[in-house]
Amino acid sequence: MNARREDGTLVAVVSSAPLVGEALAASMEALAEVRWFPSGRGDTAGLLNSLRPDAVVVDSEDEARAATPFARTSRVPLVYVLLEERKVRFLRNGGWEEPPKPDLSPEGIRNLLVGRLFGRERTG
Amino acid sequence: MTRTRVLVADALALFRSGIQAVLGRERDFEVVEASGLEQLLRAAEERCPDIALIDLDLPPRGGISAVAQLSEHCSCCAIVWSFDPSAEAVLEAVRAGADGYIDKRISSEGLVRSLRGVTRGEAPLARDLTSRMIDALHGLDLRERARERAKSLSARERQVLELVALGAQNKQIANELLISEFTVKRHMQNILHKLELPSRGAAVAFLGKLEAV
Repeated sequence: MNARREDGTLVAVVSSAPLVGEALAASMEALAEVRWFPSGRGDTAGLLNSLRPDAVVVDSEDEARAATPFARTSRVPLVYVLLEERKVRFLRNGGWEEPPKPDLSPEGIRNLLVGRLFGRERTG
Repeated sequence: MTRTRVLVADALALFRSGIQAVLGRERDFEVVEASGLEQLLRAAEERCPDIALIDLDLPPRGGISAVAQLSEHCSCCAIVWSFDPSAEAVLEAVRAGADGYIDKRISSEGLVRSLRGVTRGEAPLARDLTSRMIDALHGLDLRERARERAKSLSARERQVLELVALGAQNKQIANELLISEFTVKRHMQNILHKLELPSRGAAVAFLGKLEAV
């Protein structure tokens, strides 16, 4: 998970659990480069502004809050996985929405991202 | 090469897949998944794994109950895992038969290292979890001693203490129990002596802790 892919599609996973990054990297393998960053280190906004990923996945409220301005201004998909509540939210038109059937599998999250990265779903 | 069979029991596919991805890169592991207790037991019956990694919140009754049930089906090494494990959770898991406890924040390398350690007979328990478990053991010991001291109270003394805990004054206690205020004072002195406590407030706190156990 080190070199950026040739097509340049990069997904940043800011999570407390490296295994979440591993699972998403495996599910996105042919589609995008996935990089995991530990959450709770502060300055996630700065990290995202420097990295400029094409999509962001977070798993805590603090990180979701920190990533929102970047996602809004850069019109980048932002997915918030609520591990304990077993819910998933995504940012759309400036507000958080939940899919009618939440799917917390790596493939479910991949599909949410892919729809917004390569499909016609509006983000930000 | 004999591969170590790891059965991952977790309701969240994200974690099962994460483990698949990490251990899939290693040649000495094979992974089987279970999303709940029923699947876990079925998989264990089909072929007993070397290691079962069980989520503390495994549906329907939690990982600790699953560890106990799994031990009736096969004799594998059971490890419980969760986010932010409390001392009590670690202790309860070990008492139920778990051979170790892992924090879900473990790094990929750390996970592989821990699981390889299990195959060599090591018990995976992070240093901070070990100290938390020792704290919990000390807590248990203190609670046990408190229970023993509480047993030395007579039924009447216990009644007096319970009324004191409700905020009653000696006169009110005397009226409530139809005894003299002097007798209430004597009971209170006996309570403090038996519980080895310095004050009425300490006795109330003692009772609160005892009831919380």
